[in-house]
Amino acid sequence: MLRRVEAFVGEHAAGKSEIAITRALALRQEGLPVALVDLDLVEPTYTLRPLQGRLREEGLDVIAWETKQTLGLGEAGMQLHPQVKGVLLRHSGYVVCDVGYGVYGSEVLALVEGLLDFPRLSVYLVVNTCRPLTRDEEQIVVEAQRFRPLHGLINNTHLGAETTVELVQQGARVVQAAAQRLHLPVVATAALVEVAEQMGKWDVCGNPVWPLKRYMPLAFW
Amino acid sequence: MDTIFIKEQRAFMTGNEVIAWAALAAGADIMYGYPITPQNEIMHYWTRLAPKYGRGFLQTEDELSAGFATLGGVMAGKKAFCATAGPGNVLMQEPISMAEMMRIPAVWFIQQRGGPSTATVIYSQQETRLTCFGGNGEGLRLVYSTATHQEIFDYTLKAFNHAWRYRFPTFVLGDGYQAKMREALTLYDPQTRGTQLQSTSPMLGVKGKVQHHRNTFNIEEELYETLSKHLAEWQQMAREVVEWSVSGDEEPDLLLVAHGVVSRATMAASKQLREKGYRVGHFRPITLRPFPITALQEIAGKSQQILVVESAHGQLMSLVRDALYGCSCAPVHGLLRPGLGITAEQVIRQAEELLPKRGYSGANHS
Repeated sequence: MLRRVEAFVGEHAAGKSEIAITRALALRQEGLPVALVDLDLVEPTYTLRPLQGRLREEGLDVIAWETKQTLGLGEAGMQLHPQVKGVLLRHSGYVVCDVGYGVYGSEVLALVEGLLDFPRLSVYLVVNTCRPLTRDEEQIVVEAQRFRPLHGLINNTHLGAETTVELVQQGARVVQAAAQRLHLPVVATAALVEVAEQMGKWDVCGNPVWPLKRYMPLAFW
Repeated sequence: MDTIFIKEQRAFMTGNEVIAWAALAAGADIMYGYPITPQNEIMHYWTRLAPKYGRGFLQTEDELSAGFATLGGVMAGKKAFCATAGPGNVLMQEPISMAEMMRIPAVWFIQQRGGPSTATVIYSQQETRLTCFGGNGEGLRLVYSTATHQEIFDYTLKAFNHAWRYRFPTFVLGDGYQAKMREALTLYDPQTRGTQLQSTSPMLGVKGKVQHHRNTFNIEEELYETLSKHLAEWQQMAREVVEWSVSGDEEPDLLLVAHGVVSRATMAASKQLREKGYRVGHFRPITLRPFPITALQEIAGKSQQILVVESAHGQLMSLVRDALYGCSCAPVHGLLRPGLGITAEQVIRQAEELLPKRGYSGANHS
């Protein structure tokens, strides 16, 4: 039985792929099968493609283009992997979708059969308040309008290697304020493992902290 | 209208986004563009920002049109810019040459991709020669090669100001890797740091003033006279704008030379090699055109060997050889990986093959 589907949306470089990987691996700990789906039609070959072998070794069922399948599609994109369309019909356990950015927001979700009608679908907006277009409450509220449906926000505030606990907590407050205006919950604060360890289980607003191990630096195209 | 930056702020973003924000901060009025990877997000972000800040965007039918429309925008008095890559850069050489001839000060962002032709989209320095000398004529251009997101921001501001000050086409040369890479940088309003933005004015359509801007000449001597004046002005600009960075040992057994994103790998390699006890220097041209000839000659004259590292098959190396001809006896080697990424480890491996055995070098120079 398919328990839940989670999809991570947000603007370019907000941290969607990194969060989707973290979440998929965390769900895998429960022992149920987890499918990690590359729903990035803008840059379908740059995030999960180079990492999929490694992620399969960690027990995920990754649905993404293989390098040898992408002949001529590398930059043109806009190609939905055929297995993605019916992923809900074939999978049990959890399905985690990494949604690419683009002007169509989360419309890409409609390409997966039955996804938008699935009762246990959660679409989460990933927000890094160190990015200028989501730097404050007002801008996050505007950004969130681009995505429907939306079930929650994730605080992914960071400055790469310069990230501090204080910075992440400040981001948590801003994301919390925006979420309240949107009448949505903040699902989690994501933070690099070393920062998360200093923070403990909960952020300053009482939302769970997801420790994040970085995979994207390994995706040297 | 929204304030661009309320205060200086650290931000985390991709190189393409940095360009869009920097162009905004530099006072750019309009971007003309045609899509090509890996520069697309410059357009994507500019089109998100432009309406908020009262700026313009026009997508033309192809690169030739985008290039010429940029020049049209500048002639109409707008601070206009354009961005492209690879084959788009090839097509734009015609408008860029016209900009050289007519002294139209547009700014181009080039995010290099692998070539020849459409090839690949990420890591490459194969547009070095094209960007410096691509058109017919003499390459009267200003080309900055950036290596970090902070530099993309800083040199974009500089590119706009220098383009309008000196009136030569000006480039910020990046690559697909810098375009997509995520990194922290400080965003700021240049005016709060005391940098005044160059103003623009229309070259055409000024009431009561007949203006004649030419890119064509009937008489050879007439062209020669105009071009000689431009060459002299370019030489004058070259002295004022040429930039480089030099670090490491002052009399190195091996001098590493690299530009752009590759210089990050060579800088890291230089540091690690020196920690191992080798005598290594590092030279990075920041302006590729004008090339920092004198500065390179100075350090190369004190170097035993030179290793040029680039993601191209000798485009930087030919600039280096040209600069050093007759001035240095140091053999010039190449770590040439056209269209491939280069890591510090690869540079170290190649360098250690060239360097005298550790211990010997130190004893020899101490």
